[in-house]
This record gives sequence, structure tokens and C-alpha cells, in this order.
Amino acid sequence: MAPLRHFLTTIAAAAIAVACAGGARAQDEQQIRFENHKFTPQTLSVPCGQKLIIKVVNASQETIEFESFKLNREKVVTPGETIIVRLPELSAGAYDFYDDFHQDVPEGSIVAK
Amino acid sequence: MMALLVGIQLVPSGVINPASKGEVSAPPEIHDTLRRSCYDCHSNQTQWPWYAHVAPFSWAVARDIELGRRQLNFSDWGDYYPVTRKRKLQWMGRALQQGVMPPLSYQLIHPASRLSRQDRAQLERWIDTQLVSAASSSASKAGD
Repeated sequence: MAPLRHFLTTIAAAAIAVACAGGARAQDEQQIRFENHKFTPQTLSVPCGQKLIIKVVNASQETIEFESFKLNREKVVTPGETIIVRLPELSAGAYDFYDDFHQDVPEGSIVAK
Repeated sequence: MMALLVGIQLVPSGVINPASKGEVSAPPEIHDTLRRSCYDCHSNQTQWPWYAHVAPFSWAVARDIELGRRQLNFSDWGDYYPVTRKRKLQWMGRALQQGVMPPLSYQLIHPASRLSRQDRAQLERWIDTQLVSAASSSASKAGD
């Protein structure tokens, strides 16, 4: 009986761990979309103190460069392409981002709270 | 195969030097360094190597130069918004500190592009001066 209980406990613990990890992953993943010559959302609120994954979707017909000096990130995104930007744990504050290829595109901001 | 190689030479490669929209203004020694080490990829005054006129190499070279110009173009400096200029200067400073520019692959083909310690120091001082001047200019505008 003891081995069965041990087995079930292990399964339950594993299930909880997977659920938590899944929940955390969903929470950590954010999206920024580039379309009609602007980023949406322009202000992205994220939790500070935890690693982040930001998907940048270029839904426009122009090649952009997603760039942030504060975050030390720059990446070319071709039309229709989605890139993944992985960020470390951020301190509270605002981190601007912009399209380095089109200076008339309004800059956006990632706000860590 | 030969016919194909000849045929692809007719495909436009994009190996061109467009007109300047406002060249960067800098002291002569800084300008010399920028010309020697940066201008081939980051200006409209590219000295195209011979292989840049031979397809398919021309396509790859032209693509690299186009990307370089889009990221930073000293021939479009006058056309940049003040905030864009500030960002370019900041990235230049970071690239110098990290030693990633000019790229090693470019330095191997163009040994003269290598930056000496003195070149780096001069460039860093110039960047700092430009950033301070940009900051004071935006501060005075905010005070108006």
C-alpha cells in the first residue's frame, strides 16, 4: 500500500508542479504587435522581479528593428515574422522601445511594476 | 552554369551610394576615424570592393550595407530627429565599449579599419560631448 501511496503522491506533486510552471509561463509571456506603423500596446505593464518572454509580432508589410537601449536589445523583424525577446528580471521602472528603422514610429514603453 | 553566372549579373544588386541627407559634423580627426572604420557600412559613401559588383556576392554585400545604413547612417545624420541621434550615439558608445565595431570579419578584410586605443578614446570623448550637448539642448528647450 505504501508504494502505491508514494506513487500517487509523486504523481500529484508532479501535476501541481507542471500546472504551476504552466501558469507562470503564461503569466510571463507578453506580446507586442507592430501594425499600421505603430506598436500595440504602446505601454506594456509587466511584473518586476521575474524573467519575461516578449513576443514581437510584425503584422505589417515593412521590416522593422525592435530596439531598446535600456534593455540592450535590437532585433530585425521582417514582415509577418514573430520574434521572441527574453528579458531578465527587471527592476521597477520604464524601459522604452522603438523601431530603429522608422524614427517616426511612436516609441513604446515596458513598465515594470 | 556559365550562362547562369552571366545571366545573374543582369539582376540589379543595389550597389549604389545614394545622395547624402546631411553628413555628420565632427572634428577632422573624428571624421577621419569614422571614414576609415565605419563609413563603408554606415554611410552613403561606401567604397564598394570589386566583388561587390559580381553576383551573387554583390547581393549579400548590398544586403549587409543596406542593413548597416538603416541601423546607422552618418550621411543621414542631419535628417535624424534629436532623440534618434541620441540613441545612435548611445549605441555607438556601447559598441565601442564592447569592442564589437568594426566587426572582426570586416577588420580582417580591411586592416586599416582597426581602431587603436587612441581612436577609441577619441571617439568615446566625442560621443560623450555630443550626448552632453544633446541633453543640455533638450533641457534648455524644456525650460523655454
